[in-house]
Amino acid sequence: MAEAPVIKLEKISKSFGEVRANHDISLDIHEGRILALLGENGAGKSTLMSLLAGQSLPDSGTIYFNGRPVSFSSTEKAIEAGIGMVYQHFKLVEAMTVAENIFLGRSDKTWLSRKALNRSVAEVADQYTMQVDADMVVADLSMGEKQQVEILKLLFRQSNILIFDEPTAVLTPHEANNLFETMKQMKKDGKAIVFISHKLEEVMSIADDIAILKRGEIVGVMEAGSVSSTRELAEMMVGREVLLEVDHHPMEPRQQVLKVAGLQEEGLKDLNFEIRQGEIVGIVGVAGNGQKPLVESVCGLKRVDVGVITLLGRDSRDFFSSRSWDKALSYIPEDRQGLATCQGLDLLDNFLLTTRQGFQVGPWLPVNEARQKLEYLIEEFDIRPPNANLLAWQLSGGNLQKMVLSREFYRKPRLIVAEQPTQGLDIAAAEDVWNLLLKAREQAGILMITGDLSEALELSDRIGVMYDGHLVNMFSRDNEEMIEAIPQMMAGLA
Amino acid sequence: MPLIRVVKRQEPLGWGSCLVLAAAIGLSLLLSGIVLYIGGTSPIEGIVVLFKGAFGNRYALEDAIIKATPIFLCSLGVALAFKLQVWNIGAEGQFALGAVGATWVALSLPESPSYVVLPLMIIMAAVAGGLWGLIPAVLRQKLKTNEIIVTLMMNYIAILILDYLVYGIWKDPASFGFPMTPEFSEAAIVGKIGSTNYSWGLVHCLVLGVSFWVFLKYSRLGYEIKASGDNVRAAKYAGIPYDRLVMLVMVLSGALAAWAGFLEASSTINRLQPSIMAGYGYTAIVVAWLARLNPFYIGVASFMLAGLRVGVEGLQLDLQVPAAFGGIIEGLLLLTVLAGGLFTSYRIVVTRKAHEH
Repeated sequence: MAEAPVIKLEKISKSFGEVRANHDISLDIHEGRILALLGENGAGKSTLMSLLAGQSLPDSGTIYFNGRPVSFSSTEKAIEAGIGMVYQHFKLVEAMTVAENIFLGRSDKTWLSRKALNRSVAEVADQYTMQVDADMVVADLSMGEKQQVEILKLLFRQSNILIFDEPTAVLTPHEANNLFETMKQMKKDGKAIVFISHKLEEVMSIADDIAILKRGEIVGVMEAGSVSSTRELAEMMVGREVLLEVDHHPMEPRQQVLKVAGLQEEGLKDLNFEIRQGEIVGIVGVAGNGQKPLVESVCGLKRVDVGVITLLGRDSRDFFSSRSWDKALSYIPEDRQGLATCQGLDLLDNFLLTTRQGFQVGPWLPVNEARQKLEYLIEEFDIRPPNANLLAWQLSGGNLQKMVLSREFYRKPRLIVAEQPTQGLDIAAAEDVWNLLLKAREQAGILMITGDLSEALELSDRIGVMYDGHLVNMFSRDNEEMIEAIPQMMAGLA
Repeated sequence: MPLIRVVKRQEPLGWGSCLVLAAAIGLSLLLSGIVLYIGGTSPIEGIVVLFKGAFGNRYALEDAIIKATPIFLCSLGVALAFKLQVWNIGAEGQFALGAVGATWVALSLPESPSYVVLPLMIIMAAVAGGLWGLIPAVLRQKLKTNEIIVTLMMNYIAILILDYLVYGIWKDPASFGFPMTPEFSEAAIVGKIGSTNYSWGLVHCLVLGVSFWVFLKYSRLGYEIKASGDNVRAAKYAGIPYDRLVMLVMVLSGALAAWAGFLEASSTINRLQPSIMAGYGYTAIVVAWLARLNPFYIGVASFMLAGLRVGVEGLQLDLQVPAAFGGIIEGLLLLTVLAGGLFTSYRIVVTRKAHEH
């Protein structure tokens, strides 16, 4: 690490409204090394990378490029500096061939020789142990091959600093290994690599340096060699320090609202648990260990084939075939934009999405009463700007989440499934949400999926840990011994 | 060197969009003029003859309204499906089946009074057209087929069914071998309003157009169509029965086109014959897009495009311009107006490199 860093971040901060996405971040990126940026969803990884890619400017702090302070005020400037991004969602023209994609907008010649292009692509691909065929149409490629095209684009652009945003999320294990080989080759050639991930094993096996991001701040930077086990990483990533406290008083659990018995789906292995009215069950674990299929099965987005899910005493198929709008199930999804709301419709229409049956008169849907209710909720939940005619996409993430929460609590649910309920919210809003969940507990049983251990410890009556599709263990909030072992369980070592 | 960049507008364009629309129509006329010029006709004279022929006298106006009726109803139908992001290209076939269904009733009940036969004709037309819409919907939801292809292919089947009937079992023995059914009985014909030349079909259009608007704006199903059209995943999240909704919408969509087929057979030509298929179902798609799926604008655009069809007939007679010219203008109009849509949601910014430094 004796060499000077090619990119040096000094005290970088960036906020969106009241949300501190990045706070006081200092980080060095070295040539010939792989830096892993580890953090849960919403920890601020993407924001940090968008600052490096020139998509937005930091509120304060300085980025140094080869020792000189620079301002990446446009993506062109970042590209000129040799920074290249491989995004999770590929930016390729599906109908064009690999070589055409790579040279798109790159050449100033009028006539190009297809043969020569293909040959030069094949040469570089070979050099970096990639097997993609330059003459194939992109639409016919696998995800791994498409990613290789993205990497080749950057290599042809002479990018020296390559940033990979969760590159293995879309890959098979075999493809991921190929990618690691390519990364090692690039490292040998003296390129600087930033690798964003939340998969602990991968980070351990490929990275030279590891930086851990949590709630917008760097909570640790270390050399990979000095990390003894993935457990240590998990512990730092989810943390335990309490940022705010809420009054969690014990409550007598009453009748059962959810029972999962022998649930076995893709990504799930024999899940069994139950939730009673009056308790919050927090499920913790590194993302991608089965939380998503569990939620989808419980909330009726996915058919249950093996196992039985009982909601409010009814089998799930029966429950979802004639669902009632109130006093039933409320699902607060992680994906507020894509699942919980219609981005092109206004707040009133979005409010009606799950409450429409409550305002229906015969076949008609009069909206005046709904509008009054919504205006009341907007005030009570402090949704800003307070205007029911705004379209959903015009709201910030935090306000949209408050909109979804106000709607779902309005339904007086008996069972709540809350997925990352405070992700991306500022501290004050998170506290509001926590208090709302605790209050809702009086009437409901709550299944909370969270990547934030302090949230789980603060709110849950019982805590379950998921790893590789298993529910590793479930225990009471008072069980100190088990709580100590959570990071170990999350890393699959228990 | 100036750089041209396209930037998304934060605020809607408002009245400027009228300007964009006018410019788009102007551009399409300019391009049409060039096509006329290449064909050896004076462009100015051609456009003038076109407009005079379309809207210049009472007969032309009446003719335009007669032609606008089926276009309007077919367009309401496809607009309903488009609202749900289901691409029903099958109005043409649903129109044909509607005409077949209505004709079947008219031929089967030659003696019945009109208060029996007309409602039955409408019901039968709607059932036939609705079924023709339901098939691609079921295939789409159950087998994940592409509705664009299925509805398009079913158009050909429907037209062949119609041909089979009028060339075969329904052919009028007194038609000297021409493929046409006997003329409907007086009771099976939707007549004219009073002493005017306008059919009661216009009133059907008015009632259906208003119902369409009320249904979408005030009913729960209308709301569910709007929500599902914006975000299918959110619709399923909210427990909206999306599969059933697609089927229902396609049935209604087919029934509206079929209603047009009924009116065309009953009111306009008083029988069934192959010339009933005049491509209204395809023009309806253009109309729906030009009108941005709004029922009022669909009315306006139907009238404009029907006028275009009438005007082209005059152009053909007076200046010997081929009939295909009408289709060319229709296509140009759609292209320029859709291209104009770019300017209503994006801004074009010209920057010079020097400014950046």
